[in-house]
Amino acid sequence: MKKRGLLNPFGISVLLLLAAVVLSVVVGSVTIPLRTLADVLFRGLQGGLSTLDPGGVYLKIIMQLRLPHAILILLVGAALAGSGAAYQGLFRNPLADPFLIGVSSGAGLGAVLAMLIDWPYAPLGLMVIPLAAFLGAALAVLAVSLLARVGKTVPTTNLILAGVAVSSFASAVTSGLMINSSGELRRALVWLLGGATRAGWEPVLAILPFMVIGLTGLVLVGHPLNVLQFGEEQAQQLGIRVQRVKWITVLLATISTAAAVAFAGIIGFVGLVVPHIMRLLYGGDYRRLIPLSILGGGAMLLLMDVAARTVMAPQEVPVGIITSLFGAPFFLWVLKRSKSQNYW
Amino acid sequence: MLAGFFMLTSCGSALQVSDDGGKISALDGLERVIELKQPAQRIVSLSPSVTETLYAIGAGGQVVGRDSFSNYPAEALQVQDVGGSMGGYSYETIASLQPDLVIAGEINTPEQVKALEDLGLKVFYLSNPVKLDSISVMITSVGILTGRDKEAKALNASLEKRIKAVTDLAATAADRPLVFYELDGSGPGNPWTPGPGTFLSELIAAAGGVNAGDALQSAWAQISSEQLLVQDPDIILLGDSIYGMTVEQVAARAGWSGLTAVQENRIYPFNDDLVSRPGPRLVDGLEELARLLHPELYE
Repeated sequence: MKKRGLLNPFGISVLLLLAAVVLSVVVGSVTIPLRTLADVLFRGLQGGLSTLDPGGVYLKIIMQLRLPHAILILLVGAALAGSGAAYQGLFRNPLADPFLIGVSSGAGLGAVLAMLIDWPYAPLGLMVIPLAAFLGAALAVLAVSLLARVGKTVPTTNLILAGVAVSSFASAVTSGLMINSSGELRRALVWLLGGATRAGWEPVLAILPFMVIGLTGLVLVGHPLNVLQFGEEQAQQLGIRVQRVKWITVLLATISTAAAVAFAGIIGFVGLVVPHIMRLLYGGDYRRLIPLSILGGGAMLLLMDVAARTVMAPQEVPVGIITSLFGAPFFLWVLKRSKSQNYW
Repeated sequence: MLAGFFMLTSCGSALQVSDDGGKISALDGLERVIELKQPAQRIVSLSPSVTETLYAIGAGGQVVGRDSFSNYPAEALQVQDVGGSMGGYSYETIASLQPDLVIAGEINTPEQVKALEDLGLKVFYLSNPVKLDSISVMITSVGILTGRDKEAKALNASLEKRIKAVTDLAATAADRPLVFYELDGSGPGNPWTPGPGTFLSELIAAAGGVNAGDALQSAWAQISSEQLLVQDPDIILLGDSIYGMTVEQVAARAGWSGLTAVQENRIYPFNDDLVSRPGPRLVDGLEELARLLHPELYE
């Protein structure tokens, strides 16, 4: 079964991811010919300017806009798809996505609350909204977990239902605040639609630690999630500490998606669909499914983002619109093509 | 420290610009001092009101980029579009234009200003005027930033004269008609309308009318059909006519046939761009309003 060389699922995913990063850096509303791009990068690495780019504008576009943006999008896609895969395993539910238990609505409420105040135009003031979104997401998940608790255990059904209730409540408060505000509406809408309005390296550096911890952890819970597929009681008998696995998975998924949402807004569909595509292609072993989803999520969101930046250039369409617009038909195509009757 | 800051922002929306010996330093709407060695020659405008002001003071030739909403004057359409209609600007298009000044407006978020500054660009954040008589402050600032102080002064003088002509004439009117201004009637049961404290409210008053939306709480709000039937406006203005709303559709709405404005055929399409963009064309909007509210004074 196992193929050698690069032609195994991981090799293919890594190659696809690298190709997506390159494409993301090459394509943009300003056309930079490949030869110029290569020369600009080559000279730039030596600390100089290319003769083809005397003003340094291309270098600035590549190093301060496209490259950090590509890495941010990669991390966000990876976090959403990795968390989605883990949640589908934890809840044993094909409809589970990273926003299932309140991350998106909590983040939305946190961000909109922070937008009601006029923060100083300073580095710290500009960090307030992502920080509020992160805290909102974390608090929403904490509230859901506490509300769903029965004694010392958290029944999965309770977790999902409490998640739905808390999400609805938080969304209602968010909408109410937005309707009643006047000036911030636009800013809030841009944010909620998944428009990454910050550019440069700061957002990348800010979310990197959360991503490293969250994604590494998620890769490691693959084995217990596999065992959990037999049912909670069985898993317990097989030596898995089910409650602990639940808490850890929720914690890891929450810190990575909350960090993603804080800077990139709410991007739908990637976290739901990428794990299913990987499952259809490579099977349901969570030890492989989670890392493959992380790689595939990064690649898929990068490609969607390239589309978002080019379909209406120089308009930039919020990537959240593109993920659902292109993601849904693509997923249906994969689903139709799959031979297995019951892949889940 | 925070409290002190809030005091600053809450009262600091006025602009200060000084110009000594060719060097320009100006305080922008984010409380930052922006310095220019010389008047800006390559300008990117991120909002329609700024674009319209630039062209109105003869600085149109200095504009190298504009946002997607900037559709006036017609020459502006020839200038490079830098995005913005869905919230996102193409920062790389802006960088590639190598502007010496980007003028942002309140339509822009602080995050967008920061992103442009990180690219080494000079960004002037222009606060919106909040009253008719403070448009002149904005025009003066844009004039100094672009080296068009004289033109800005002349424009201000002529706008002031035109505003005075309208208000003087309106003061002689025998009545003050009740005006319902529809921003968005796609949900005809409760259309959106400007509330108290908005430019539209002030313009309707200056043109010799009363804004029906003044009875509401928020600046931009939905008014219920019931409330409208009770108020019974004399005139209905369709700011949403640019999105296809027609006089016939409004007259045919359930329960609206009894309104005075409908029975007297005083429903008019209105160019919303004239009154939604806080720039020099507000005065065009004011004159247009006055003619619709008091046709008897303009015979």
